[in-house]
Amino acid sequence: MVSPFLRDLLGRSAAAESMNWLDDEMAAMRADFNQRRFYFAFSGVSRRFDKHVSVATTEADRPELEKLCEGFSVTGWDEFRLARVILLTVLSEQPDSVYQETLEKVLGSADLREQVAIFSALPLLPEPGFLLGLAREGSRTNIVDVFDAIALGNPFPAAHFPEEAWNQLVLKSLFISRPLYRMQGIDERANATLAEALSNLAHERWAAGRYVSPELWRSCANFLTDTIVSDIERVATSDEPGQREAAALVTASDSENRLAHLRELLAKQLDAVRSGDLTWDSLGEMLATAS
Amino acid sequence: MRFFDSHVHMVSRTTDDYQRMAAAGVAALIEPSFWQGQPRTEPGSFKDYFNSLVGFERFRASQFGIKHYCTIGLNPKEANNEKLADAVMELLPLYICKEGVVGIGEIGFDDQTKAEEKYLRIQAEMALEADLPIQIHTPHRDKKTGTIRTMDVLEDVGVDPRKVIIDHNNEETVKSVLDRGYWAAFTIYPHTKLGNERMIEIMREYGAERIVVDSSADWGISDPLAVPKTAALMKEAGIPLEEIEQVTYHNPLNAYGQSGQVQESDWEAAEGIDPTALFAGNTLLRGGQDIQKAMGSDDLVIR
Ligand SMILES: [Zn+2]
Repeated sequence: MVSPFLRDLLGRSAAAESMNWLDDEMAAMRADFNQRRFYFAFSGVSRRFDKHVSVATTEADRPELEKLCEGFSVTGWDEFRLARVILLTVLSEQPDSVYQETLEKVLGSADLREQVAIFSALPLLPEPGFLLGLAREGSRTNIVDVFDAIALGNPFPAAHFPEEAWNQLVLKSLFISRPLYRMQGIDERANATLAEALSNLAHERWAAGRYVSPELWRSCANFLTDTIVSDIERVATSDEPGQREAAALVTASDSENRLAHLRELLAKQLDAVRSGDLTWDSLGEMLATAS
Repeated sequence: MRFFDSHVHMVSRTTDDYQRMAAAGVAALIEPSFWQGQPRTEPGSFKDYFNSLVGFERFRASQFGIKHYCTIGLNPKEANNEKLADAVMELLPLYICKEGVVGIGEIGFDDQTKAEEKYLRIQAEMALEADLPIQIHTPHRDKKTGTIRTMDVLEDVGVDPRKVIIDHNNEETVKSVLDRGYWAAFTIYPHTKLGNERMIEIMREYGAERIVVDSSADWGISDPLAVPKTAALMKEAGIPLEEIEQVTYHNPLNAYGQSGQVQESDWEAAEGIDPTALFAGNTLLRGGQDIQKAMGSDDLVIR
C-alpha cells in the first residue's frame, strides 16, 4: 500500500505540477494498469522532479516513517528516489505475477538512480522471499551508490538476509569502506561466524600493513574468542583515531571480564562510554566525518 | 571553443579518443544506438547494449570530463530480422524516458525494405508518445530517394520536422531536408561520407541555420576529432565564428534540448573529474594523470 505520508513528504519540496502528474500516474495505475505507462512514469520521474533537491524530512517525521516499517529512513534521499519509491509501492498493489514481472523488467534495465530507488523501496514492498534474490544479487554490485541503497539505512537486509548473506554484506561494507554504523540491525545480526571472519579480515589487513576500521570490532563485541581478545589488546594500544575508542566499547560490553586487564589503559574512553558520550554510532559518525 | 558532437559511437572507441576529444574541447556528446558491425541474434544483446549506453559508457565519458547522452532505438539494418525487431520494440519503452536519453535513434532506412519502414513507423509513433526528438540515419545507397521516403513516412505519422534531426546528409539531400523544416546533420567521415572541405562549401551555400556537424565515429576508420577539426578548418576558410559555433555546438544542443534531457548547465556546473570514482569495480584514470593536448600536428583536412 502506498503511504499518503510519503506523497506529502515529497510534496514539501516538489512543485504542485509535478505532484499532480504523480497523482495522475498513480490513479491511472490503479484504474487500469499498463506496463508501458509504468515504464514511462518510472523513468520519466527524471523529467518532473529534481535530483538536486533533497527530500525535506526532519526528526519529527520519524514516528510516521517507523509506522511504515521499523527502521525505515529517507534521510539523504533526493526527489527522484522518493518519487520512484512511491510508484513502486503502487505497482506492488497489482497481482503478484504482474508486480513481480514488472519489477524484474524495470530492475533489469535500470540506470544507476533507478537501481538506487528500487533497492530503497524493498522494505515497503510485499513478497520478501522474491525480493531477497534481487537484493542479494544487487549487493554484489561494485557501484557504491547501489550498494549503499541496500546496505545502509535500509532495514531489509537485517530483516530478511540469511546469516551467510548478512555476513557477506558486512564484510563487503568493510572492504569498500562503508560506514557500518549506518547498517540497520548491525548489533542484532552479529554472530560468532561473522566475528571470526572479521577477525580474520583484520589479521589479513594488518599483515599487509593496511588500515582496519575500528567499526570492524562492533560485530565481535559479544563473541570474544582468545584470538579476538588478543586483537582487542592490540587495538587498545593503537594511536590511530577511533581505535582505542573501539577497544573501550568492546571492553565495556564484556560481561565475562575477559578484557578486564584493559580497563586501566582505557579508563578515559570507558568514562566516555559510561557517560553516553561514546557509542558505536557516535564513533562511526566521527570516523565518517573525519574521512 | 567548446563542441557538442551529436553523433559518435563511443563504445567502439578507446580512452585515448576520450582524452583527445576532451583536450580538443568536446564538452558533450550523443551516442546513438546503432548496429555493432555484426548482427545481434538475441534480444538480450540489445538490452545489455542499451544498459551500457545509459550506464557504463556514460560513466566512462564522465571520467574524461565529457557529458554523455544517448538516443535509443532499433537501427534499420537489424530491423530486417522481424522476430528480433519485435522483441526490441518491447524493450524500447523501458529505456526511452530515462534520464539523459535525448531522442529515439538512430532509425530510418538502410535497404529501404518493407520491414524497415514498419519499424521506422512504430518508433516514430513511440517518439510522439514520449515527446522525444528523432535522430534519422539516411541510407548509404540511393540516399536521395531514401531521405525523401523517410520524411514522407515521418510526416505521415504526424511528427513535427522541427523535432527531427536527419543525419548523413550530402549536397544532394540538404536542400529538400531544410526546405521541409528538418534539422540537417552532416557526418564528417573519411572516405565513405563527407569530407570537411565539402562541408565548408555547403555552409557557404546554406549558412548555419538548422545545420549540424558531427563525427559519427564508430568501429570503422573514422575520426572522433572530426568536429573540432572541421571547426578549425572552417575558421581558416573564413567562415564567421558565430556560424561555426552554431553548427558545432548550439544547433545540436537546441535540437536535442527539445527532449528536456540535455542543457548547457549539465556540463557548465560539473565538478570536474573524480579520478577515484568506480563503476562496477572499474577505474579508468589514476591519480596524477593529465588529459594532454592531443590534437597536435594532426592534419585538419578530412577527405
Ligand atoms: Zn551512427
